[in-house]
Amino acid sequence: MIQTLNRRFSVYSALFAMIPKMFMAYQLWFWAGMVMNIISITILYFFWDAIYANSAAISGLTREQTINYILLAFFFMPLVGNDLLWEFGSNLREGLMIHHLLRPVNFQMMNYAQQLGGLVTRMAFQLPIIVLAVFLFDLKFPSDLNTWVAFLISALLGFTAMFFFSWVLACMTFYTTEIWGLGVLIEGITIFFSGSLVPLAMMPEWLRTIVLSVPFAQALAVPVGLLSGITPLSDAPRIWLIQLVWIAGMGVLSNLVFHFAVRKITVQGG
Amino acid sequence: MSVIEVNELSKVFQVPKKEPGLVGAVKGLFRPRYEDKQAVNQLNFQVEAGEIVGYIGVNGAGKSTTIKMLTGILMPSGGTVRVLGRDPHRQRVENAREIGVVFGQRTQLWWDLALIESLNLIAKIYDVPPARYKTALEQFTETLELGDLLNVPVRNMSLGQKMRSELAAALIHQPKVVYLDEPTIGLDLIVKERIRDFIKMECGSKGMTVMLTTHDLGDIEELCQRVIIIDGGHVIYDGPIETIKKRFGKFREITFETVEKAKPLDLPEGAETLLAEERKVQIRFDRTVSTASQVASAVMNQIEVKDFSLSEPDLADIVKQIYNGALDMEAK
Repeated sequence: MIQTLNRRFSVYSALFAMIPKMFMAYQLWFWAGMVMNIISITILYFFWDAIYANSAAISGLTREQTINYILLAFFFMPLVGNDLLWEFGSNLREGLMIHHLLRPVNFQMMNYAQQLGGLVTRMAFQLPIIVLAVFLFDLKFPSDLNTWVAFLISALLGFTAMFFFSWVLACMTFYTTEIWGLGVLIEGITIFFSGSLVPLAMMPEWLRTIVLSVPFAQALAVPVGLLSGITPLSDAPRIWLIQLVWIAGMGVLSNLVFHFAVRKITVQGG
Repeated sequence: MSVIEVNELSKVFQVPKKEPGLVGAVKGLFRPRYEDKQAVNQLNFQVEAGEIVGYIGVNGAGKSTTIKMLTGILMPSGGTVRVLGRDPHRQRVENAREIGVVFGQRTQLWWDLALIESLNLIAKIYDVPPARYKTALEQFTETLELGDLLNVPVRNMSLGQKMRSELAAALIHQPKVVYLDEPTIGLDLIVKERIRDFIKMECGSKGMTVMLTTHDLGDIEELCQRVIIIDGGHVIYDGPIETIKKRFGKFREITFETVEKAKPLDLPEGAETLLAEERKVQIRFDRTVSTASQVASAVMNQIEVKDFSLSEPDLADIVKQIYNGALDMEAK
């Protein structure tokens, strides 16, 4: 039992470790992303600075709280933005899905390990920008260890829920074969619904209800709320519980949807 | 027990049926109609341990469909498949551990990464013990001449280099059963030769069971003792390659280039016209019945000949004739 677990772990950690190497394959992409990010945070900072020019607080949030939240949400965007959809799309178009399905490992776990690798890599690439923001825009991180732990647990749970949800969306590519439109649409929805543009507290009640009834915010607004101090630490257990429910629901749904979608290949021959 | 057992195996695909015109297209949106396409029809064959079997047929004959069902990726519509005693579709993961696959037209390597990274990962996925992996890697590096390629990203490789890498990736875990779907497609003669040598040596020495599909009859002649020929989803021949060669080997073909326009000719017994074009006549004769000189003089008496050549039929022609029912005629 232990041995099997050990072996599984070594397979999935090897898959995990492939991702940073793949990212490094395109150095230009890395530098271009860096420049884009610097421009983005500068715009975000001055945009929210201007909004607070005439008011001390909006929806109960001070200027410092909001800017801190917005910057943190920007850095932790990788939590919500996995590229499962593109992955499925290109695999299906190039007929590579067959090879993945023929590996003697669980296909979903294999993808989870790789998306987790993608998350860690993307976060590592954000580090220089984070340092820059600390100096330029007075970005603040909590010093309290408990807040960090609460955040990390919630981030991992939210990321996992979002992974399963993306899996359901990615299964659509089995039917559409075209992914560009779907991908761009979902990216747009993700940016808004994850709470990366506007803090949830500033949304009208009805909109917040909608946002909280889809899983995007679970992976970003919810954990970043804890980290930025907008959400009190005492809420953490309740948040984790809700996220676990999301994971359970989306986990079951994703397997169900995949079971039918994969028949495109296993029954109809792809 | 045979390694591969295929019983009454069938596969029916549903293909959307499009009606012509705008009305048809609109109808198709609301109520798509499907047509059944029988890709594989009641196939039967067994493959024993250590055999290298050539699996051939024209495009669309059902070769790849069969291979996909043998790997477990495709669910049969009828009949059964057993590979090493397992149902490959139901027990896909267990089966996957024992097999190696090369699909000549798609890659299993990580495109952006150096070859060695892909091989390391594959060895992990298939639980190859480090010591055995090291030995296998050294050996493959030598026999497939991968030395300069190990640190090259796959996207920068030529087709021949890629195919050598694919073979290494498919066999590094020493599978018991290997499916090679057109492993020499698009390669030049030298690379083909090297790849055939490698397959012969590697699969032969380890006693692997190999199913090889190809359009290149050189592959078959070099590697296989047995061929299975399918057409329209049916097995039309299953037996030693020698039988085919012998049965069709008694025929010869003469091609005449004529000065005047070709016309119907009286030929000696055992000879028949295969092709009569504007200024070209191709005749096949049974050399146990007539001789080349009898055929040639008969033709030359009737028509002015500019040039002629004599040839033995190659395997490609033989297969073409089987498709056209030549073996049925022989049997009668």
